[in-house]
Amino acid sequence: MKLLAKTNRIYLAFSLAIYLFAGLAFYQVVRILIYREVESRLRVERLDFEAYIRAHKSWSDSTYFIENKVDVVPVGHRPLLPETFIDTLIRNRYDDELMPFRQLTFYTTIQGVTNRVSIRKSLIQSYQLIEVITATMATCLGLLLLGTFWFQGKLSGRLWHPFYESLSRIKRFNLASATPLQLDKPEINEFRELNEVLRKMGDKMQQDYRSLKEFTENASHEIQTPLALINAKVEQLIQSEKLTESQGRWIEDIYQASRRMARLNQGLLLLAKIENHQFTENQTVDLTALLAEKLTDMDEVLLHKQITVQIPSRVPFEVQLPPSLADSLVMNLVNNAIKHNHAEGRVELASDGQSLWLGNTGNALVSNPERLFERFKKEGSSPDSVGLGLAIIREICDTYGLQVRYEEQKGWHRFCISRRLEAA
Amino acid sequence: MKVLVVEDEKGLAESITDYMNKEGYICETAGTFREADERIYLYDYDCVIVDLTLPDGDGFQLIQTLKKLLATTGVIIISARNALEDKIRGLEIGSDDYLTKPFHLSELNARVKSLIRRRNFGGQTEIRYHEIRVLPASRKVYINDQLTVISRKEYDLLLYFLSNIDVVLTKVSIAEHLWGDNIDSADSLDMVYSHIKNLRRKLLEKGGSDYVRSVYGIGYKFGEP
Repeated sequence: MKLLAKTNRIYLAFSLAIYLFAGLAFYQVVRILIYREVESRLRVERLDFEAYIRAHKSWSDSTYFIENKVDVVPVGHRPLLPETFIDTLIRNRYDDELMPFRQLTFYTTIQGVTNRVSIRKSLIQSYQLIEVITATMATCLGLLLLGTFWFQGKLSGRLWHPFYESLSRIKRFNLASATPLQLDKPEINEFRELNEVLRKMGDKMQQDYRSLKEFTENASHEIQTPLALINAKVEQLIQSEKLTESQGRWIEDIYQASRRMARLNQGLLLLAKIENHQFTENQTVDLTALLAEKLTDMDEVLLHKQITVQIPSRVPFEVQLPPSLADSLVMNLVNNAIKHNHAEGRVELASDGQSLWLGNTGNALVSNPERLFERFKKEGSSPDSVGLGLAIIREICDTYGLQVRYEEQKGWHRFCISRRLEAA
Repeated sequence: MKVLVVEDEKGLAESITDYMNKEGYICETAGTFREADERIYLYDYDCVIVDLTLPDGDGFQLIQTLKKLLATTGVIIISARNALEDKIRGLEIGSDDYLTKPFHLSELNARVKSLIRRRNFGGQTEIRYHEIRVLPASRKVYINDQLTVISRKEYDLLLYFLSNIDVVLTKVSIAEHLWGDNIDSADSLDMVYSHIKNLRRKLLEKGGSDYVRSVYGIGYKFGEP
């Protein structure tokens, strides 16, 4: 939920509660005031009544022609009860409607007889008053509520504008680009400080990213150069005519070891670069076509090992990958399928548009399939393999929203690449 | 032929120079950007081999200066950086080739030769070695003036040998020359063997001499029997 929607919602709920409470309280107050007024007038009428009784010693209904104004009922000898006020409804004589009245009941003695006297006063006007007041009040409060709601919305929209502006710029911010994070300097202190902090963090991140990138580049340079030196010297050494057979073998070993180290270094650097997201330009790549093409490129090796390739379906399997990594991925998959194949084996490529399989025949797996994708996990002890191929495949897949799975079935080893569900 | 090697690693520069001198090139070295910059202003070179990371400057800048001074000079970049962007940038500013360290001296030599051939004769030249005659433009091979049909890989192999006469070529360098450095080496070494066998057979069939010799099991040498 958006921040403004959330505050507006809370504000609306809170003000509704407050207005409701205020309305009820106001209603009660007005009612109490009206009752007090009516009751004080009823008391005055009681005084009038008693004055009348004192003067005339008797009561006749005809004095008050208004219906039900004063009701005198003899109740015989009874103790005098205190006066009480009650609300009552009395039927209107003409239009047969129930009307609200306030009634004061007291007991008095007229010529020795105890009488219950009820004096009533219509509340109809007071009720109308309350209704009018309540309606006016509700309208005013409603308008006020709408007004403040609208104002509040406008105001927070304007107040929070710098925040949203910064947010959208941070979203657009690319760590790998050379342009630093640019943020405004809003009037509001908190936002200004926030932007300042964000800008510093962005600069620091970019700087760290750059130095990390430089480190991998420099490490590569620093390791590759001595390796190039070893290679060059070995090449010069073998030109010498005076080497014995065993010296030749030692040199061969040195040479092989330095080549392996170079491959290892390149593999590790590639992994580091993928982890650092140093490959940025994604393109739509059809892995099926790329794999088929790579298998064609390798026809010589395939022919040499007498491996047949089967591609039952060529449904495109399109993924978003930087081209150089797509190439790396495909090459490692193909190399793996060839390396762990046996002579006169088979390689099969299939795709259904949602996933892609590259299977190869081969000897049963010796190591734990769970740990196959770990770095330096080698199947067998081939001196040419550095054990990074599958780790590179997995790293590429993990970084670019793909999933790679291995399964073994009846002498077939299959690698299945599919889109990760949450990435789709 | 004058070649300038710009490389800050002394040992490597020395190895390249030795190799080039043996091939009959006049080879000079520069260990720093300043020195290289001075040399390209003072002398004309047919080919310059440049390391991108120099202690006091950037190899790219050197190439740009060089291309402004004398556009016909061939440029080969040797760099430890294996980034695609570097390769593309190198080609954009006018370098002819890009080799990633560690490389084989024989490979560098073959590239220099091919480059000089392209520059000097526009590719319209032939390579002669005794009875073997190769026309690079049409990729045709003649032995004792008889057209000999050989496969593409065999042709590449022969050209690689002819670029490195009397030099021991390691099996790995041959494999990488033929298939690039991404090929799995165990298989490729076997394939190198079978290609060499076939090439030898084809040369002998047309009455050529057997120039290929195996050396210490580490590699092969092409030269006088």
